[in-house]
Amino acid sequence: MQCDRVQELLGAYGDGELSGDERRSMSTHLESCKACGDILADYGRIGRALKRHGRVCAPPVLAARIGAALDQIESELPSAVLQPARRFALAGRVFDMRGFARRAASLAAACFIGALAAWNFVDAAGQSDRMERDVLNAHMRSLLQESPVQVASNDKHNVQPWFAGRTDFAPAVKDLAEDGFPLVGGRLDYVADRRVGVVVYKRGLHMINVFMWPSPSSADSAPRIVTRKGYNLLSWSRSGVSYWAASDLNSEEMRTLSRLL
Amino acid sequence: MAHLDAAHNLAFHLLRERADAQDAVQDAYVRAYRAFAQLQGEDIKPWLLTIVRNVCYRRLQERRRMSNVISLDETLSTRAGAASIEAECTANTPSPEQNAIRASDATVLTQALAALPPAFREVIVLRELEELSYREVADIVGAPIGTVMSRLSRARAELRALMMKLLAQDNNNAM
Ligand SMILES: [Zn+2]
Repeated sequence: MQCDRVQELLGAYGDGELSGDERRSMSTHLESCKACGDILADYGRIGRALKRHGRVCAPPVLAARIGAALDQIESELPSAVLQPARRFALAGRVFDMRGFARRAASLAAACFIGALAAWNFVDAAGQSDRMERDVLNAHMRSLLQESPVQVASNDKHNVQPWFAGRTDFAPAVKDLAEDGFPLVGGRLDYVADRRVGVVVYKRGLHMINVFMWPSPSSADSAPRIVTRKGYNLLSWSRSGVSYWAASDLNSEEMRTLSRLL
Repeated sequence: MAHLDAAHNLAFHLLRERADAQDAVQDAYVRAYRAFAQLQGEDIKPWLLTIVRNVCYRRLQERRRMSNVISLDETLSTRAGAASIEAECTANTPSPEQNAIRASDATVLTQALAALPPAFREVIVLRELEELSYREVADIVGAPIGTVMSRLSRARAELRALMMKLLAQDNNNAM
């Protein structure tokens, strides 16, 4: 290999992006050529210095600014079709002062979750649609937030106790790493106006949010899958607990997870 | 907020102006939020950075239209020192003493980086600072992986040459 060609490939060589053959001829050349070796060393030095000094992080105020802008969008979202249903839902709440107070409290708590924690009001289409939308919104919010979890650990013995005292129902946390669903952690979120625990698992690069809450009156039901905006939402009930899982993972693997939970 | 530092880092290096970079990042996040449905099974970081990059390039074009001077392929920075550097300096053959670049010289480094054309600067930022794979960088800048590889190679060579030139100037000034 000529020095010219070697120098063209030095960066990719250092990045480990060359094929086996190229890598071997590069190594052979570098063993005997000081000029090329010096350049490679310079690239290494420059790379390290860049990592140390070159990254210009966001000022803290920017997150707040963007959060406010996104809240603004959320408030614009409901279409004209939704307006009457929304007013109706609000009126119903004003009559039920206790419900209203509860909602106000959960709104205040939502601020704690983050600037993105705003969600759509109920529409007239019914409970199931609303669940779908709330779960989907919560899932999408979690992907945009700094971290999808408030407690990050792949050990269920760290995640399970975190929920105690934070929700009236502690969701079951499982160790599914051996089944290919390593635990990411847990957080609190809001679905249908209630605070629910969310356990987050991973499958490759795909994040799976599993929402759980008690529903003693629900009969056991088999997993039902719907696709919304490219995400799969799987819902089922078992032993008085309602489950919703949201992910961009394929439906087959979603079902596998539901059997493991 | 997800990947805010990465988004800001890219925007800052492309636009070289703090207020502009912040506006661009906000713009990008709003677009990302509205367009979330398009994201399917992709990793969110490259997807977000693609949006950030598009917003920044639109701003660069806007600037060019307004000022009617600077081409996207030319040096954007007019900072002291960096402005006087010509691209032809890649042709200089370094002496062995020059080879020992003082990596700790952060000022020289940022000046040299700022003097690179945006197309070079962005691949350096995405690869060296955000540590993305060549595949991910290719997706973000919308170029084949081979193009990314040769662009990175030229960018690194130029960055090194610029740094040596700046360091040589520093030494001359000191004497
Ligand atoms: Zn050589």
